[in-house]
Amino acid sequence: MSAAWAVATVELRRFLRDRSNIFFTFIFPFMLVVVIGAQFGGGASNGRVVLTDDSSALGQRIAAELTERDLTVEVSSADDARETLARGRADVGVLIDADDAAAFDTGEPVQLEMISAASSNASAVAQLVQTGVDELDREQAGVAALTDAGVGQEDAAAAWQDAEEQVPPADLEVVDVDEVSQAFAGVTGFDVGASSQALLFVFLTALAGSATLIDARRNRVIARTLAAPVSVVSVVAGQVFGRWVIALFQGVYVMAGTTVLFGVSWGNIWLCVLVLAVFAAVAAGAAMTIGSLLDNEGAASGFGVGIALVLAALGGCMVPQEIFPASLQFVSSFTPHGWAYRAFAEIQRHDGGLGDILGPLAVLVAMAVAVLLLGSLLLRRSIARAL
Amino acid sequence: MRALLTMTAVDLRRRLRDKSVLIFSLAVPLALMTVLNLLLGGVNEGEFEPVDLAVSAESDDELAGVLVDALADTGIVDVTVIDSEDPRAEVQAGSADLGMVVPEGFTAALTSGEEAPVRFVIGDGAGLSGQVLVTVAQGVVEQFRGASVAAVAAGTAGLDPEHAGVLAEQVLAAQAQVQLEQGEASSEQLSTGGMLIAGQAGLFLMFTVGFGVLGLITEREEGTLVRLRSMPVRMSTIVAAKALTAFVLGLVATSVLLTVGSLLFGVDFGSVPAVGALVLAAVLAATSLTFVVVRLARTAEQANVVQSIIALVLGMSGGAFFPITAQGVLGTIVDLNPIAAFTRGLGITSGGGGLGEIGVPVAIMVGFAVVCLVASRLIPNRGVAQ
Repeated sequence: MSAAWAVATVELRRFLRDRSNIFFTFIFPFMLVVVIGAQFGGGASNGRVVLTDDSSALGQRIAAELTERDLTVEVSSADDARETLARGRADVGVLIDADDAAAFDTGEPVQLEMISAASSNASAVAQLVQTGVDELDREQAGVAALTDAGVGQEDAAAAWQDAEEQVPPADLEVVDVDEVSQAFAGVTGFDVGASSQALLFVFLTALAGSATLIDARRNRVIARTLAAPVSVVSVVAGQVFGRWVIALFQGVYVMAGTTVLFGVSWGNIWLCVLVLAVFAAVAAGAAMTIGSLLDNEGAASGFGVGIALVLAALGGCMVPQEIFPASLQFVSSFTPHGWAYRAFAEIQRHDGGLGDILGPLAVLVAMAVAVLLLGSLLLRRSIARAL
Repeated sequence: MRALLTMTAVDLRRRLRDKSVLIFSLAVPLALMTVLNLLLGGVNEGEFEPVDLAVSAESDDELAGVLVDALADTGIVDVTVIDSEDPRAEVQAGSADLGMVVPEGFTAALTSGEEAPVRFVIGDGAGLSGQVLVTVAQGVVEQFRGASVAAVAAGTAGLDPEHAGVLAEQVLAAQAQVQLEQGEASSEQLSTGGMLIAGQAGLFLMFTVGFGVLGLITEREEGTLVRLRSMPVRMSTIVAAKALTAFVLGLVATSVLLTVGSLLFGVDFGSVPAVGALVLAAVLAATSLTFVVVRLARTAEQANVVQSIIALVLGMSGGAFFPITAQGVLGTIVDLNPIAAFTRGLGITSGGGGLGEIGVPVAIMVGFAVVCLVASRLIPNRGVAQ
């Protein structure tokens, strides 16, 4: 046992000494959490609208109506607005020029060009812009009608404002029974991003270590260790333990870091660590399998990164599993990430206890046992193979 | 010239034998593109599915009828209206996608300025169509409210009650002063599939070119660089051979990724000469970057790490995984990223642009290459020449 422990601590020390890990282990996961959190975080805004003028009365009034509808308003020149829309950086653009602004001031009809981007949200945002402009039109028509009836211009505007405050707002009550919305109720984009990134990086870090194993085989480190009075079982156990500690360390680091930096709530921390521990065992086994099967470090790291990213995507770590089509949800059940994601979702979002995650946990344990046995077997065979 | 071609051919043969270039440059990006396209393709395409709308409203309520008619005939979403006692139950049971409950006495409440909120129940199948219908309903209800506001305003302004009703009708019937007409957007934005192909091709190009110039460090570590320099070959020729290897690998890998990607996911990137110019500029920018890396790194391992870090940072900020909606100064910085410029250029060509329209993205990539080459002359050499 002490030999296995010694092998494991050497592996961990080598990992911590490698300066490249400062970026990949400690910084890069957080960058991805920010990007994915920003993508799926939603935020308060209903969409982004770019206006070409907010200094005239018309521009200001439209901007005010849009802001009231929780739309984010940006101002730029007409050419920039077209480009912003073409590149998907805003949902809708409303082009207002000096003639439009002057016509509005004199009460003449104004036709504004509205451009929608190709974003999925654009049609709904365009509808919101239309309701905002309709509201503006009603106010204009109302004040004009009051003036026609003999009320002074200023009194008419004041009466309309007064009435706006007296009449209760025309709000709708929207109840969402959509399963996806329910699944994400009360969580931020960072919560979802953090657990996904913990899983992605546990696997990525472990599989990147498969090249280290090939390196150890190439330099006959393992063969020399076996020359000492150390059993093959101890060496294999040490390798597994070393990989597992590194993988678990990566996961716990992402958990701790995202809690401190982004205020991510994890639910029951110990259950999360338990899921990570079993998941890290699957990752350690997979790393050993790749490191024993392949004999080239470059190929192993390429293959490892590729497999880690594809499994993460299929398991719901890049796009939340809940919005997968049914066929892909089925496919995700064949990935360890898929099951770990479900366990995390249960703990984080539904205050799940041990009883609630027994199913996913059992599948992960079975996967870990299978892949560790396979990896150990292949590593034992590879020790005898020349590189 | 002969030495240059011989060394390049040897390098290319070595790289092809070593499976890592095939895995990193083709297999991994193609696998990622396929998986991400499967995942994101179904999520982001903004199509309006037909919607079954379960409605509970009093049959003789005038404004409720107007609201239902407005939703049934939006011209945007195909809506089937189902009369229902309990729309929420229907939505939960899956027999309707969207439910609407119009409260009793809706017209009376609105005309007397009381609150009468319409309730919507959004189900699994409502999606974007549901979102649009709720917004349309919001607009209709606001219009009803406008009439009430007009009546109250008439009272506040001292007009008699008879005049208030007339004024409300005038407001509803008035020709809108400000009208919106749908303008033509330039179609320079890539589809979800196109964006994934372009982004992943750009990201992995950064890794692919690393197999060329960074080989200088490996050669130094293995002692073959010293042997090469003992031959009648100039150092500049050796470096040029590595750069040419990187360039050829990048060119082939990116072309294969764009071609296979566009065939697999049905994306048309447009004019072949224009796309070719973009690929050349992107490979030039990526290869030039490796000259900076080769000066910074002491060992092959360090070089790979620095190259990977730069590739991932440029890839992510360039929108390889998700479009970055940055504005202002941050947006300008993102625009100067060669991967973002490459993706933007492909957006222009897929929208029908030719060689004449891709000047800006090509200039950004060539400018990036020039800056990198100048920087590589200025940065103190920590690696190969020592």
